[in-house]
Amino acid sequence: MTPGLVLWVLVALGVLWTAAWAFVLVRSRPGPGFDVIEPVENRLRLRLLVIFGGIGLLVFALSLHAYPYPRFRARALGAPTETISVLGAQWGWSLSRNTVPARVPVEFVVRSKDVNHDFAIYDSSGVLLVQVQAMPGYANRLIYRFERPGTYTVRCLEYCGIFHHIMRTTFVVH
Amino acid sequence: MATSASPYTGTNGAVLRAAIGYLVGGFATFLAMGMLGLLMRLDHAGILVISPDWFYRLMTLHGAGMVGAVLLAALGGLCAVVSQWVRLSARALWIAFVAYMTGMGLVVVATLLGRFAGGWTVLHPLPFDGRTWSLAAALAVYGGYLFTALGLLIVCVTLLRGTTAACGGLGGALALRYLVSPRSRPQAGLPRPAELIATVIAIDGILAALAGLIYLVPLFAEAAGVVPAVDALFAKNFVLLFGHTMANLSIYVAAGIVYAVLPVYTGRPWRTTWPVVFAWDLIIVLMLVNYSHHLYQDFAQPLGLEILGQLGSYAVGLPSFIVTIVGALALIYGSGLRWAVPSILIVLGLWGWVFGGLGALLDATLPINQVMHNTMWVPAHFHTYYILGAAAFAWAYLYHLLAGLSDVPGGRGARIAAWLYGVGAAGFVIMFFVAGAHSVPRRYAVHLPQWQIYARVAVPFVLLLAAALAWLTVDMLVRLGPAWRRTRVPLA
Repeated sequence: MTPGLVLWVLVALGVLWTAAWAFVLVRSRPGPGFDVIEPVENRLRLRLLVIFGGIGLLVFALSLHAYPYPRFRARALGAPTETISVLGAQWGWSLSRNTVPARVPVEFVVRSKDVNHDFAIYDSSGVLLVQVQAMPGYANRLIYRFERPGTYTVRCLEYCGIFHHIMRTTFVVH
Repeated sequence: MATSASPYTGTNGAVLRAAIGYLVGGFATFLAMGMLGLLMRLDHAGILVISPDWFYRLMTLHGAGMVGAVLLAALGGLCAVVSQWVRLSARALWIAFVAYMTGMGLVVVATLLGRFAGGWTVLHPLPFDGRTWSLAAALAVYGGYLFTALGLLIVCVTLLRGTTAACGGLGGALALRYLVSPRSRPQAGLPRPAELIATVIAIDGILAALAGLIYLVPLFAEAAGVVPAVDALFAKNFVLLFGHTMANLSIYVAAGIVYAVLPVYTGRPWRTTWPVVFAWDLIIVLMLVNYSHHLYQDFAQPLGLEILGQLGSYAVGLPSFIVTIVGALALIYGSGLRWAVPSILIVLGLWGWVFGGLGALLDATLPINQVMHNTMWVPAHFHTYYILGAAAFAWAYLYHLLAGLSDVPGGRGARIAAWLYGVGAAGFVIMFFVAGAHSVPRRYAVHLPQWQIYARVAVPFVLLLAAALAWLTVDMLVRLGPAWRRTRVPLA
């Protein structure tokens, strides 16, 4: 799901909720007694529990397919054919190579030399595609397949000190 | 359920004064931290230039201060509410207040004088490896957190002692017998919703404070050279179990206030029904398991904890929405709701709690988190259920308490200011969401020119919010003196 689509989902859900909220406020003038409303409330609660509980489980089940962890990504994209080592350090990135093949699964092995960083890849139009933390003492494996050639930007998305915002680099997908 | 016109009859005036201290202290801190927030948004908009050093120091102080402020105010409100039926120790509350404010003072000193800029989440080992601040500054912040956790612990123990004594033990305060045997509803003896919530909060507050200790002790040991470097993943788990739970506590504490105040304005009781007991008892567990959604991008985290984070995040929303939000809306529907500053802030808070919760639920969905984590989407959702949730509920109670004690009800201007608070806050947080959807990173001192538009649109809304708050502040200051004096005469 792209970030833009996530916003539209929020807008849709937000409009539904705001409409329900406004409806209740408009109907807050004296009306039926609470003895009439309470049984309706209890039935509504039960229905909402079933509906929202069901939706939650369904979304969870569907989301498993798109988990970003190596075993899930390798299953979805295939075993990586290229490996790129990434080292984050205050306040820069070093990649073992700065060219990456397009349309094949590649693996980034991300480490940190000092503090926590976050290896986030932006496409040429500034959209965040994927990310993984760079943690001291750990190597996190991120598998991804770039569909389009072009220049991609790496930004740090975990606050790492006062020059955090300049911690960026680029690589080329060809 | 008490909904009489004189709700504080018989209440210990000393406890009310402590509660007012918490609420006013929290509100004043909120205003000060809000000013820092405005400065940061002006910087994002390109209207004001703040050096990165100062930006991140202000950011650290703003985050720690806001979490501390809203939780403090909400705790004060909840203590005042339950003190109507539960005996609390005013002395313990003041001791906790001193500990809490000492902790916050240490953070102020460390950031403003010690140049500490490690972020309020103090992700280890950054505080020890910041390059621009000293180890002493980092330890001052950790010491500050220790004092704050101590203050929280004292308040929670005080609340727990009070509710368990009033309800015949822990089982009674959590209505456990009724929970397992719903058909045997006792005629009397069930805790009021606020008492039940205070018990739940106290249990999770104590556990959060203990998580803080488990986190902080090894770090002090590392600083002293007693142990080698603390594992980054261990530290991250415990700092988030501590910090995320503290931040979450604010909204649940404030929700407890809603259970007590909304009936006053709707004229309808909020009873301790089985769904209320089930939902709140369940929250004891759910509040502690969903912190892991902050570690989705830490691929080294065990998969089970990541799944627990996602399921726990979904699950914790269910009781809150189905019981508290639906319950509040049912209370309002057809009630002839009396529109006043507190009731306006509460309905705004209901909107914001759900809207912010929707943003949080989306972000808690693991594949979505891949493209939203640590973008502006994150401050978007928690600012929403802070400003338009926990804080709105806390200020509603502060206004309600001061107006009730001083016997000076709010005027039309104040009601307009309360609505403008909602408009300003909504515009402000929506621009965070929009920026997040455009992949703008959070915690950046310098925003690229193409990112500045979101902050530029937000700034007028922040100014509107500030104006509304200024109006409400003056309105409450007028009532503060008479309300304080009222607590000094027997409340009978």
